[in-house]
Amino acid sequence: MATPLRLTRRRAVPGLAVAALTATAVLSGCASKADSEGAAALQLWTRSTPASAKVYTKVIAEFTKKTGVKVDYVPVYENFEQKIQQAAAAKKLPDVVINDSSLLGPATTQGLVGTIDKASIAGSDQIVDRAWGQATGADGKLHAIPFSTQAMALFIRKDWREKLGKDVPKTWDDLVSLAKAFQAEDPDGNGQADTYGMLVPGSSQRGYTAWWASSFLWEGGGDFLTQAGPGKFTPAIDSPRSVDAVTKLQGLFCKDKVVVPGALTLITDDAHPFFEKGQAGIYLTGPYMMGRFDKSLGKDRYEVVPAPAGPGGATVLGEGENIYLMAGSAQQDGQKKLAEFLISADGQRLGMNGTQPNPVVRIPVNKNVDMLAERKDDRWALIAKVYQESARTFPQVPNWQPFRQKTSETLNSLFATCDADVRGALGKLAADYRTELATQKVAG
Amino acid sequence: MTARAGGTAIADDGARSPGAGRAGAPPRPAADHRRRPHRSRGLRLVPWLFLAPALILFLYFKYIPMARGLWMSFFNVRPFLGDEWIGLANYGRVFTDESFRSAMGHTLVLATAQTAGAMILGFVLALLLEGKARTLWVVRSAAFLPVVTAIAVVGEVWRLLYFAGDQGMLNTLFGLLGFGPEKFLDDPRTALWWVILVGVWKHAPYDMMIILAGLAGIDRQHYEAAALEGASLLQRIRHVTIPALRPVITILVTLACIRGLRVFTEVFVLTGGGPAGATDVVMTRIYALGFDAGDLGFASAASVLLFLTTLVLTVAVTVYRRRREI
Repeated sequence: MATPLRLTRRRAVPGLAVAALTATAVLSGCASKADSEGAAALQLWTRSTPASAKVYTKVIAEFTKKTGVKVDYVPVYENFEQKIQQAAAAKKLPDVVINDSSLLGPATTQGLVGTIDKASIAGSDQIVDRAWGQATGADGKLHAIPFSTQAMALFIRKDWREKLGKDVPKTWDDLVSLAKAFQAEDPDGNGQADTYGMLVPGSSQRGYTAWWASSFLWEGGGDFLTQAGPGKFTPAIDSPRSVDAVTKLQGLFCKDKVVVPGALTLITDDAHPFFEKGQAGIYLTGPYMMGRFDKSLGKDRYEVVPAPAGPGGATVLGEGENIYLMAGSAQQDGQKKLAEFLISADGQRLGMNGTQPNPVVRIPVNKNVDMLAERKDDRWALIAKVYQESARTFPQVPNWQPFRQKTSETLNSLFATCDADVRGALGKLAADYRTELATQKVAG
Repeated sequence: MTARAGGTAIADDGARSPGAGRAGAPPRPAADHRRRPHRSRGLRLVPWLFLAPALILFLYFKYIPMARGLWMSFFNVRPFLGDEWIGLANYGRVFTDESFRSAMGHTLVLATAQTAGAMILGFVLALLLEGKARTLWVVRSAAFLPVVTAIAVVGEVWRLLYFAGDQGMLNTLFGLLGFGPEKFLDDPRTALWWVILVGVWKHAPYDMMIILAGLAGIDRQHYEAAALEGASLLQRIRHVTIPALRPVITILVTLACIRGLRVFTEVFVLTGGGPAGATDVVMTRIYALGFDAGDLGFASAASVLLFLTTLVLTVAVTVYRRRREI
């Protein structure tokens, strides 16, 4: 869920045909080029917007210059998972994929990636310990190589907040009262009640509801699953603290009514404009949005702060991108070389894109890279601090996706139906978890 | 998408008949006729050669993928670990999976309501807009616009209209009229009906066009005779117009049902199946299963079932129609 531009169902439909045609054209073009030059290029797919694809192009050019290995780079803007599934079904996977850590579970269980021998990757000793977690499967083995990390943070309209004379929220109650003020006190001063408190990409599609709610659930002291020994889990989603946290979240929609209308069918790509166009003032999202919002909204009009701690602490969702060396590749040496370059200090620095927007490396994984020296932006120091101190990933079950989907459907339904019984619904979800844990053979 | 498919079917029929007329009907010179059997042995292959490009494309892009889909439906599909034969288990799951069952329910409601709504509205529009005046032609073309607009665009526009805040377009209108604000797609209890409304709006003009063509074929004398007998307007509609339109209506019902069962784009664009799964239909479920969850075997099984349902329905309507017409 990390990249800003996920499946965009509205743009996807007309875009799909064009994308398919272009991809075919590009691929056939590249194939013939490779043939004529006698050496097949290494195929790399990333989930990227056109803007971040430009950054990858720079990184790759440097790689080719250094190693002589040619790369056929295919940035996929939309429907990434679908295209991976199609490629897998045709047994023609790209050689290397860079995508967020949520691909790890499905890729491992479907055999799209093998295991990685850490010692065989040059420079792997320079990677910070914490980052390896996102590349480690439920079996405790490495199935990918970390490339970039990040943590969720709260984006707040600073100009609105200051105009209303409010402080940066420190508690959940502060947050709700700020959201209410944004909604009721006309922070944009246009004389109309057309602003909303919180922006929530709450569609259950692709698990967005769970993605957004996870940080609040953890801050409330709740959890999805509890680890019950190595590789064993039990449901925690029906624990009293989880119930309290979800009840509080339901309150945002039903009692406090501070969420933008239509939130429950919003996917992230459709959500961003609400913040940019001054319709909503508070948005919990990933730091990769800063580049876009700096441009569209203006750097001085919003601030990035840690999500205020809840009764259970300040834990938020930390995610990252991994380098996946895909199965069935004829160029295992090239795969390894590319991965080694991407995690090297040079590769990481290029990916960070200096002070420019759209970094593909958000927080570098290489400990020899000084992030602040590269970026000169305090907000990134804050993100790095949040990541270090209070970020965590989704539970490391073999395949998180079925859990994510069921959780999203339940939460979406709870937020949509205000008289719904939270305890009962979460109890039922816990039962579904138990079934799924048994299916994945990790029930504790 | 489905509308376009329906449209093409009709267009094909239209295109084919004059074409067929040209090939078969016009009287050829007698000399030509006499030479034909003599030549035909060598030329028997020629039609197949002309058909070959289309047949190869169909085979490659339609029939082989269909067969492969059927085959995959019996497996737990894992391209890199080897597929695992699980027999009919995927089909069993389609019927026991709770979200799938509710998606089937939604699909039936949507198909029925949308078909009926579009048909009734199309019929009323057709009655209102029948005639040869130039102004009517302009109005008819305007009314037909939703049909030719890409469904993804339609969905996007309706999403804006349906914005659930006070300043949403429809809500502003409702506010002026003194009610609302309505929650539209936000409310799981009503979301499906708002999706259906978009479908009716989009498909009614198409039904209108077909019914107009049907109306043009009704002998005016029937109306005159009925009027002489003292039949009221409603009686004329009931006893003259509707019976004369029966073939048109059966065609429309068949097409609309198939379209309704396979509905995808408008739901996907408007709600993605949400909120709380309230607008999830069979196709959005299949999509989520196949491409989001990567369970291609299960998704194939559901697709095969959908295909069979469509097939049975089409055959049933065709058989029924033949019987009625004989």
